[in-house]
Amino acid sequence: MKRIVLALLIFVCSVFADNVFFHNHWTLWKDADVLIWSADKTPALDPKEFCLSLKRNNTGIGEPKCRLFGEWERDSIAMRYAGWLIANMDKGIKAEYLRARHPAMVAKIESVEDKLILFIGERDGQIYAATFDENAAEPVAAGVFESTGDKIALGDKIADAFFDGTTKRRLTKEERAKKMTEPDESYKEIPGFQGWAGVAVGYSQAKIPLTPNNWYSSHINSRVRNYRITKDSVSLWNFIDDSDPQVALYVGGTWYGFIGAELMYRYSYHDVKTDPQDTIYRELDYWGFHQHEVGINVVLSRTYNLTKWFHTTPFAFIGFQYSFFVEDIGLKNDHKEHSKAYDVRIKFEDSYKGALVGIGSHFVFFDHYGLGLRAGISSRGRNIEEDPSPDAAAEPTTIGSSTIDCFVNLGLEYHFSM
Amino acid sequence: MKTVLHFAICILTMCILCGCGQSYCWHQSHPNYKKAPTDSIAVTGLGDAFVVTRSSWFAKKLDISKDSIQTFTSHFCSKAFLDQLQKSYKAVTVIPDAAFSHFPEESQKLDTRIFMKGRLPEQGIVVKDSAGNVPAYILIIHEFTLGTDLQRENFYDYALIHNEAPEKKTSKNLSAIVSYTLWDNMKQRPLYSAVNQVDQPNVKLTLADINKIVVSSVQQITQSLAAGVQ
Repeated sequence: MKRIVLALLIFVCSVFADNVFFHNHWTLWKDADVLIWSADKTPALDPKEFCLSLKRNNTGIGEPKCRLFGEWERDSIAMRYAGWLIANMDKGIKAEYLRARHPAMVAKIESVEDKLILFIGERDGQIYAATFDENAAEPVAAGVFESTGDKIALGDKIADAFFDGTTKRRLTKEERAKKMTEPDESYKEIPGFQGWAGVAVGYSQAKIPLTPNNWYSSHINSRVRNYRITKDSVSLWNFIDDSDPQVALYVGGTWYGFIGAELMYRYSYHDVKTDPQDTIYRELDYWGFHQHEVGINVVLSRTYNLTKWFHTTPFAFIGFQYSFFVEDIGLKNDHKEHSKAYDVRIKFEDSYKGALVGIGSHFVFFDHYGLGLRAGISSRGRNIEEDPSPDAAAEPTTIGSSTIDCFVNLGLEYHFSM
Repeated sequence: MKTVLHFAICILTMCILCGCGQSYCWHQSHPNYKKAPTDSIAVTGLGDAFVVTRSSWFAKKLDISKDSIQTFTSHFCSKAFLDQLQKSYKAVTVIPDAAFSHFPEESQKLDTRIFMKGRLPEQGIVVKDSAGNVPAYILIIHEFTLGTDLQRENFYDYALIHNEAPEKKTSKNLSAIVSYTLWDNMKQRPLYSAVNQVDQPNVKLTLADINKIVVSSVQQITQSLAAGVQ
């Protein structure tokens, strides 16, 4: 037991002894050229051993090459900066306070191309380490490590702290030259277009989660008596079932990876909520409405490339839609005659106009194959195409002029870019 | 629902109104600035820092030739500055401007749009005074602008520096704007950088008024150096 506690204690101490000040995003190259740069007479790291540490720690790093950075060790400007760096690398310092200020030094760092520079220095019995890449005149990662004199252990610790990310293939000279001449994406005359098409299944219901039940209970619990009578008619959910599965088709695209538009079509079927105690429905076999909706959305999105083969694009959308309810009714075969109420049964408007708003995300694998998840709220209201008549107040209210539901759906998508 | 909407609109309006008001941060401390200098300090930049705007007005008021007003005020202010600094610290060493003139001019960012320019020693190079000693702290005076009714944002906010001066120049206040850096000579880093402004009601301009505003500036600098400690 004592041994376990002791081992734990040593482990905890070793974790707290090594301290990484910052570790910003930087590119770890496959088959990296690691240049070990130090102002000390005998560097605390052995290049060969450090290469083995890298390979042990990160299998994706390929065949790294490590050597002492003699060019900079013989350069007075670089050595002056090295001396300054080791004096200023205090615990917890931010990268911006370690920036190289001398223009010649900045130029040196910018010219390292895809090599990785590992700065090592000893101060007050501790080893300070920092890494540089070509993109910034300040270290991209820095930290302090306990000096034990064991070069292999130190190499392992540094490799673990700074070199354990995913690696990227280094560009050839030609690729690099080509990349340098490529125009900036943002200045393209024709904006980059990312498109998608998808088919989705989902579910909609009148009750919006986290809202009180009494907002909806009168609509949801309402029943239709005598083919047309309900408590009120402001929502279609007084007449038809609100919670039903739906199918959706959609096609859309974004420009500049930011703003886009989407066309969509949705279909669902809703049974009419006939009152079972009403004997008039004995003649009825089935009664429901096919709901067809077409709409257009404005989409705002942003793409995050998480791995080489996977990216995700969270988005928000807002748009409008037209809803059409097509009646589907049938009487039982043994009822040749139907009731008078059947003839004067409830009729919905020809079309409803509404808005929808929501959020979602595309999850795209291998640039083309995606899953789309989205949720939102949609409404249907009166489709006003003519001015209201002077005696509009005397007219009965439009049936279903405030029909709101929420929806969630999951789609299979194909993505393409132009 | 209506109440919620009204409340949201009120909040939004307030945010917009507050967002329009421009406020600046005029100083920047290094996270390792733990102790302000108390006993001894070295100072540099006094030879070239002083500039008088509206030199004709100053020349007329002080009854000094227009050709020599800049040189005169520069010497006068420099002496007043040093005298006051010597009252605030036990030992003040003056490092000649020549020790700094070969360093490149750099910008230091104080706020989103506020940048101050000045010469700072290179990383890894320790500055020595004329006796060969190495002072721990150096107060580097970059610019000391003397004028009437000056606003420091017109000099240091890069969005405003190209604005043309107003047609009618006023002289309600005598103003001094000073940009300076407290330099850690041992670790070659700026500990505290700031732009200070002092305004003093202008009754009848005399040399005593100029002396007074320089003294106030130095007092404000010493206070700021103490207040800037992290």
